[in-house]
Amino acid sequence: MAVRVAGRALNPDPRALASGLRRAIDAMPRPLRAWYGILVVLCLVGAVGAALAIPPGWEVLGTSPSFEWGILIAAYVFFAITTSGLCLASSLGTVFGIEMFIPLEKRHAILALFCLVTAFGIIALDLHYPVRMVFGAVLSPSLRSPMWWMGVFYGAYLVFLVIEVASMFTGRWRIHRVACVLSSITAIVAPTTLGAVFGVLASRPYWHGAFTPPAMVSAALLSGTALLGIVFYAVHRFQLAGFERAERLAIPAIRLLLTIILAVTVLVVGWQVAWGLYGDVPGLSTATAAILAGPLALPFWLLRIVLGLAVPLVLLVLPRTRMPGGLAAAAGLAMLGLFADRAIFVFAGQVAPSTAVAGVASAPFAAYAPSPVELAIVVGAVAALALAYTLAERCLPMGEHSGHATGAFLGSASGSDPAASRATKVPSAPAPVTATARPGPVPAPAIPAVAVVSAAPLDDGTGGML
Amino acid sequence: MRKTAPVTDPTAPGQRSPALSRRRVLQLGLAAVPAVCGARLLGSGFSPSEATVRAAEPEAAIGTNPAGGATAAAGAAYDPSAHQWAFVMDTTTCIGCGRCVDACKQENHVPTDPKLNRTWVELHVQADEWSVSVSSPAGAEPGTPIDGAAPAVAGPVRNAYFVPRLCMQCENPPCTWVCPVSATYRTEDGVILVDEKRCIGCGYCVIACPYGARYMVPAGDTTPKGVSGIADKCTFCYHRITRGMLPACAEVCPVNARVFGDLNDPTSAVSVALDQKRVRAMKPALGTRPRVYYTGLEGEVD
Repeated sequence: MAVRVAGRALNPDPRALASGLRRAIDAMPRPLRAWYGILVVLCLVGAVGAALAIPPGWEVLGTSPSFEWGILIAAYVFFAITTSGLCLASSLGTVFGIEMFIPLEKRHAILALFCLVTAFGIIALDLHYPVRMVFGAVLSPSLRSPMWWMGVFYGAYLVFLVIEVASMFTGRWRIHRVACVLSSITAIVAPTTLGAVFGVLASRPYWHGAFTPPAMVSAALLSGTALLGIVFYAVHRFQLAGFERAERLAIPAIRLLLTIILAVTVLVVGWQVAWGLYGDVPGLSTATAAILAGPLALPFWLLRIVLGLAVPLVLLVLPRTRMPGGLAAAAGLAMLGLFADRAIFVFAGQVAPSTAVAGVASAPFAAYAPSPVELAIVVGAVAALALAYTLAERCLPMGEHSGHATGAFLGSASGSDPAASRATKVPSAPAPVTATARPGPVPAPAIPAVAVVSAAPLDDGTGGML
Repeated sequence: MRKTAPVTDPTAPGQRSPALSRRRVLQLGLAAVPAVCGARLLGSGFSPSEATVRAAEPEAAIGTNPAGGATAAAGAAYDPSAHQWAFVMDTTTCIGCGRCVDACKQENHVPTDPKLNRTWVELHVQADEWSVSVSSPAGAEPGTPIDGAAPAVAGPVRNAYFVPRLCMQCENPPCTWVCPVSATYRTEDGVILVDEKRCIGCGYCVIACPYGARYMVPAGDTTPKGVSGIADKCTFCYHRITRGMLPACAEVCPVNARVFGDLNDPTSAVSVALDQKRVRAMKPALGTRPRVYYTGLEGEVD
């Protein structure tokens, strides 16, 4: 019996699958093959790390009683805010119908889903009893715990994202619009609860305060936008589905958004440092000293400030580098800086010992170094995300649809909202999905409906594909 | 496994509080318990303290509590609502011998790793009123050389003293607030416990505790009930106090620096100490309302 995957009939016979896979690999361009090869190797490295860390393999982690949250928590935070940021960045198009952000729609949703799954995978490896968490959160919830609320909102976000993606690829636009609004709302609430996990701890002055949750949202917007910058550079570079429209609209939109949020981040980081320099608040001043001239100084100055903020801003602002390549470099560096930023954030809260844990002198800083297993898991997680997304880009129809163009959350669900229609110049309402549907009337400029490299020209059935 | 028998030195200083006569009598009475347990378990290879830990359950509590005036008749069920347990730590008498650390490790299956402790002793060295150097080499277990292990203090030393540490059993505990699955909770008699079957090992409580009183049980070790990978902490030896015994650390302290008792009983050792001495809690500004009070503690410890 033939199985249909992404519109293609697949023979479930293992030998046929293997030969088909070999043929597909042979047919690939060499750079793509190398890209897959690197990702698969890195995924295997991560898989080995994950296998070692699976409970009860806690000893392979570099954490200690005085430094309980290590780089896995930092990676979890990074992916958790990135998934939210993707949704926030694209909500300008998906929810508010701003034309230049509409091309972000499909790719953001897929990426957000993969990022969230990656985040959950990492936290499952860091938890000692992840299965208990699922049952415990339901059977004995603690409504006072920010971590419980974080689980609730990220869980809800996962549900909304799945609905958003599923409805997007099946053309159920009414459901899709509602899912987009709900996922965008949870994309704001979820990172704030993640920030609250740290912010409510009075015992950790560096984290403590109402400033932490909104700072987490600004970090989310930065990482989400930066990731979209990298992806849309690839769309432009490899002429993937909808690349012309992406070049015309998405890349300038991402550049604008990235510039704004980088400038905001400069202020956030600057005030965080200034805040810690005032007075001599125990814990806070120690953490600030660790960041400015202590064990966290190198990642802070090199990765966070120079490579993560200064260079990307220059690349985005200078006329000479105002091109897709410059955007990609800026976005990549911004992501690197943001990962360092989240690691610094997680570590700085613990670097000032809350007490002289037995056997450890309190002065000057608590020590932590990621173990090779932890680093392998982080590298593997990044590779797995990249691999999953590359496969999705190749196998799924990433061309745009007009679901939001005509949809109008700000107007009627039938797509008759005049403002939205005017803004996007897409005349028709969503049409029923048919497997054989072909692109409908194409507004200028005409853009191929399916990815150049995509092997499965599934139509999203909107009748208004761009 | 170390085999240090609980030791109480009746001639040691600091044993002149009003509760001492009763305490002394009960200590003698309780001395029979390990002897009986030891005799019964001689062939099985268990140490008396291990046997006590494994066998004890609060609902089976019997006997009289030497630490407080409130008593439970032999065979009667322990009534948590009748007690509010607390410690008064005397930093002026603690000699940093570390017997408490050793006794706790044996009593509660605490890992041998010197960084993992339910209770430990810190050495505080002050050069001036605004700075203090804190160290706790190997948790001040017996045999640990203090000399050379303490961080250097610039200038002449103005003051130096030992501070016994353990879970503060806060009335307003941050650890129970943050636990996402309600695995850690406060009992009616004021002790914070961890449900070993519910804890997910996220480490949030370890992070949230302002006093560094929690740790995660490493994979090679287990709690008394045989679980690893979960949060562990001082329970005031709940299995002992609900049976009318003192916590192991208080039991072995040779200078009575760890005074334990029931706040509900005005004649208990802690109630008397709180009435007669000036005490303070650690980090009062956090609003945690600890149930461990200190005498002779300098403000800079916060």
